[in-house]
Amino acid sequence: MPYPLHAPRVNNNDDIVQVVELSVNEGDFVKGGDLVAAVETDKAIVEVEAERDGYVLKILPELDQKVAVGSVMIWLGESPDEAVPEETTTPVQSASAGAARPTAKARVMLKKLGLDENQIPTSGERLTVTDIEAYLAEQGTSTPTAPAPMPVQTREQTPDVPGEYQELSEEAHGMLVTVQWHRDQVAAGYLEVEYDPTPWEEYAAEYAQQNKLMLSPLLPLLAYRLVELTKQSPNINATVVNDRHYLYTPINLGFTVQADKTLYLTVVREAQSMSASEYIEALGEVQRHAIAHKLRPNEVTGATITFSSMARWRVSRHIPILPPYTGLMVAHAAPRGSGRAVLGASYDHRLLTGFDVAQVLQSLSQPPVDVYPC
Amino acid sequence: MTLERNAIKTAIRQKVIELANELGEDASDISDEDIIPATGALDSAAILALIVWFEGAYDFPLKQEEINIDNLGSINAMADFLLLRKGG
Repeated sequence: MPYPLHAPRVNNNDDIVQVVELSVNEGDFVKGGDLVAAVETDKAIVEVEAERDGYVLKILPELDQKVAVGSVMIWLGESPDEAVPEETTTPVQSASAGAARPTAKARVMLKKLGLDENQIPTSGERLTVTDIEAYLAEQGTSTPTAPAPMPVQTREQTPDVPGEYQELSEEAHGMLVTVQWHRDQVAAGYLEVEYDPTPWEEYAAEYAQQNKLMLSPLLPLLAYRLVELTKQSPNINATVVNDRHYLYTPINLGFTVQADKTLYLTVVREAQSMSASEYIEALGEVQRHAIAHKLRPNEVTGATITFSSMARWRVSRHIPILPPYTGLMVAHAAPRGSGRAVLGASYDHRLLTGFDVAQVLQSLSQPPVDVYPC
Repeated sequence: MTLERNAIKTAIRQKVIELANELGEDASDISDEDIIPATGALDSAAILALIVWFEGAYDFPLKQEEINIDNLGSINAMADFLLLRKGG
């Protein structure tokens, strides 16, 4: 059965990537982990690896072509002569070519969810509600991605004050889409707790000394504590899909990294099965990739719960935007010299109550009783 | 970048000072033995940027477990570790 390789998300703000390298030809045999292509945005290049062994059946984009994140780039198969679904061989950038026409009910659902019909595989001649539900379930369990861009509401009238229009960069448009998802899909709530940062700082200092760490482990340890709390309260590791709660199985912890002018939402997957030291190592690796703008696809997709800190910028509060298909983002701030710190959280009120979130934040504000083992 | 010890240390010091400046800190008096994280001139994100720069400048990919005080804690340590690994 043919297996697709999709265009990866390079960073949170870009929905379009450019194919800058095609390392294989149709008919080649590749092994899982082999480099098959590379894509880039203005900020970074990401290599695309084969996720399993197989023959290259079809390469859809041409070199230098711009493609939508999540679209199929390459089809792999167990034998070199497998047939590729006809409708998928059309150029991925065309808006409607090859897409099955949605049914009336499917069209309503697409509009409600802000989805693009072109990104959803169909099981028959028409795109149905069942196809959309299958797509959403797949996205939720493995790699939830940002929904397709929703139409930007433009002003009907140009302001009376003189000025000129400026086209949005891809990055700016991506952020606009994310913000609109938060605005249109989420019942957003925010609350915060103030706490004395001293116990956490002492805890992190002791951990750093024991492990001879170069970097302060304070934020990674806070994030890891969030993983532990998530294991105790699985309802915070969830989203809402089609009017139902969807509880994620893995804890894929998103952690924002500002690299130059690009804000990445990096992801450490399966954090629930890691020790503190394993998580800190994994996060450190991902952070280095982010700083170097060399993030791998699985390091920027699939976040199920997220953590962000703006302590570095000395802000006293920031209210984060919820990344698509997440229900909670914890925001840490620690104004320098104030002697206090703040843990806030944006959350989806369709999923969580203020009580749920307050309990998490109160628990998070205190370090564990025992120092994590080395 | 040259692999001469003093040149390496000079380059590292310049980078530390540059990163500290971005944070509004003055690291111009940092010594070769100072433990960089302990100086307070660089926060974690800046130290991370220093490490990524170090890897790129000297074509010197680091394993995560190598990123510790013993190997990279000071300008001297960074230069020594680089030369040891590069066989200089």
